[in-house]
Amino acid sequence: MSGAYRHFPILMVTIPFFGAALLPFLAYLRRKAVPWASAFFLAISGGLGTFLVGKIPPGGHLSYPLGGWEPPYGIELRVDFSGYFLMMAVAGISLAAVIYSRRYIEKEVEGGRITAYYVLFLLMSASMMGFVITGDVFNLFVMMEILSISSYALVAVTGNRNAVRAAFKYLLMGAPSSIMVLLGVGLLYSVTGTLNMADLAARVGDTGYREVLIASYAILVLAFMVKAAVFPLHLWLPDAHSIAPSPISAMLSGLVVAVSAFAVARITFSVFTVHAWGLVGTTLEALAVAGAAAVLFGGIMAIYQKDFKMMIAYSTISHMGYVVLGITALNPEGITGAVYHILDHGIAKACLFMCAGNFIYRKGFRKIEQLKGAWREMPWTCFAFSLAAWSIIGLPPSAGFISKWYLVYGSVRAGKVPYAVVLLVGSILAAVYCFRVVYYMFFQPAKEGDWGERLSEAPASMSVPTWALSLATLFFGVFSYLFLDSLLKAAAQLL
Amino acid sequence: MKRLVSLLFIGALALLLLYVVSKMPPMGEPTNPTMTHVVPRYLEKSEGEAHARNVVTGVIINYRGFDTLGEVTVIYCALAAVLAVLGREKRGRIRDYVELSGIPSSVIVRTMVALVVPFIVLFSLYVILHGEMSPGGGFQGGAVIGASMIIFTTVFGLHLSSVKVPLKVRAALEGSAVITFFLVGIAGILGGGNFLAYAWPRVSQSLQPALVTWLTVLVEVGIGLGGAMVFVSILFAMVREEGADEPLA
Repeated sequence: MSGAYRHFPILMVTIPFFGAALLPFLAYLRRKAVPWASAFFLAISGGLGTFLVGKIPPGGHLSYPLGGWEPPYGIELRVDFSGYFLMMAVAGISLAAVIYSRRYIEKEVEGGRITAYYVLFLLMSASMMGFVITGDVFNLFVMMEILSISSYALVAVTGNRNAVRAAFKYLLMGAPSSIMVLLGVGLLYSVTGTLNMADLAARVGDTGYREVLIASYAILVLAFMVKAAVFPLHLWLPDAHSIAPSPISAMLSGLVVAVSAFAVARITFSVFTVHAWGLVGTTLEALAVAGAAAVLFGGIMAIYQKDFKMMIAYSTISHMGYVVLGITALNPEGITGAVYHILDHGIAKACLFMCAGNFIYRKGFRKIEQLKGAWREMPWTCFAFSLAAWSIIGLPPSAGFISKWYLVYGSVRAGKVPYAVVLLVGSILAAVYCFRVVYYMFFQPAKEGDWGERLSEAPASMSVPTWALSLATLFFGVFSYLFLDSLLKAAAQLL
Repeated sequence: MKRLVSLLFIGALALLLLYVVSKMPPMGEPTNPTMTHVVPRYLEKSEGEAHARNVVTGVIINYRGFDTLGEVTVIYCALAAVLAVLGREKRGRIRDYVELSGIPSSVIVRTMVALVVPFIVLFSLYVILHGEMSPGGGFQGGAVIGASMIIFTTVFGLHLSSVKVPLKVRAALEGSAVITFFLVGIAGILGGGNFLAYAWPRVSQSLQPALVTWLTVLVEVGIGLGGAMVFVSILFAMVREEGADEPLA
């Protein structure tokens, strides 16, 4: 393989790292330039990604041995289509969120911490890109560490008491799960002598250490379940995601938990592979039950929330259940549904949190009741919210419909009709909690003094990313055929 | 009751894990998978193909260099996390935080520290530069510099140490580990290889061992400086925070 593009995946990951390392000095020279520089580095990263369109062989992958050391001796990046797809999702949503951040963060975060905010933001997005394309389990752990540490800190960045408490709760659940990932990787290494995923896949089948493999798989899945906030390990999520500054809520809810769920897929399909499923079947079934419970629990809890951001956060728990159910269907349709759901849920959820951020920025409103009659003052935000909610519910022609279709189809094909029913019920729950807000926004009279008649939209640097994301939910619904074929092939190749 | 349940749960989990440990390959056997698959190549060939005089350094910096890039990013990330929670000291306001150490130190302590600190720093440079061929390296050396700054700050107070290591210097060098690593990686691409290739294919065979050695030293120095500055900045942020609750004299 030749051509400069093969270097692009690693550059996409490391350029934001490099940028993050430059920011403190840039802040010393010119503090105002920091947000622009951050957006610049993420834009380069995403721009390099667009050059890779069509370069990933369908059903195959782009292997990049770092330092030229062939795997398993060195670290390998293994960019298959689903990895690339998610990497671009991360790049796109991060870019929108970083542009959104500039005005919002000025208001919520005290000056001395703004640089740290952008440093952490860059590290968080880049580590997610590395996380989804790495072909090495220890490298997966390293990327997850960067991702986790930056997420904990970003929840606490506003510095108010509740935020610090929520971040600490997140840390208390996140840190043990990081150690569990390390333990699981260590166990795998002790019985195979390798860390490369493809090499592991070849070696787990015929190693004699059944118990160690089962334990390692269970530990890894449990650890990533904490990170992905799969019920009943979701306890940290509602507080952390609702109290964090809105662009960070968007990143955490839209991407961070979702790539952790994707890690479960990586471990299941790229490391343990179909040959080892005999060993880990029980864990997979337990995971599926947890996923189904998450769909229902998250949906029901979301209906009962009074706080707007809290409702969106519970909706995330519900949707992580969807992703898990797609993975545990163990067929190409289910996996495609899961990957596509990570994308469209990420876009729609980021958009919802940005809408919430717009309301908070202009009015400081956090309660759902306070949104009654909001459309008079902020019609654009309200419309963007409705579009994103459309996708969250999963109605055609939005992207949410496509992914839910595949998820249900995958469950039915796997002979797991009860799960398919759960998925549909989850959509009804989503409709209940989303339409309530839409109804309040458009069809309820405003409470005296809450909303006036004058238009007061959020500034353009916040509205434009919000709208871009809400339109993206439509785009990925209408033009889903561009991606689905390659995704199905990539998924089939995993099995 | 709650305690009893958690105790039972932890006990059961521990027993389960102990059972798994009993099924693991016995410790230190030469026939273990860990000993027979990847490791022999590192031990036998790293001198020839990676030009590493120290196998551990060869694996950390060269074979698995990207993991180390990730680890230095983790350290840098930890600093950013501390600054995000505690905030950095404001420029020019450091004078307000004078003498927060609270421990009045005697002439003997002051003299001793003033005498010893330069030697500690010298020793750390030795550790950093020798990482390429002996135990040690950037991480350890950087930690030693950080420790020397902690001693200095405890005895002489924050004001003096922030004069010695001003914000400008720290802001420039905090990321130096990530920056050097990244630039060495890019140099690998420009040299005709992959990201983080140390023996550039475009350079003649005879020069490659020296090239690898110097690039390794460069990376170690970057890690050492960056690590040291990260320690110092974290220290300053924490000392300042501690003082912020007390009335300033």
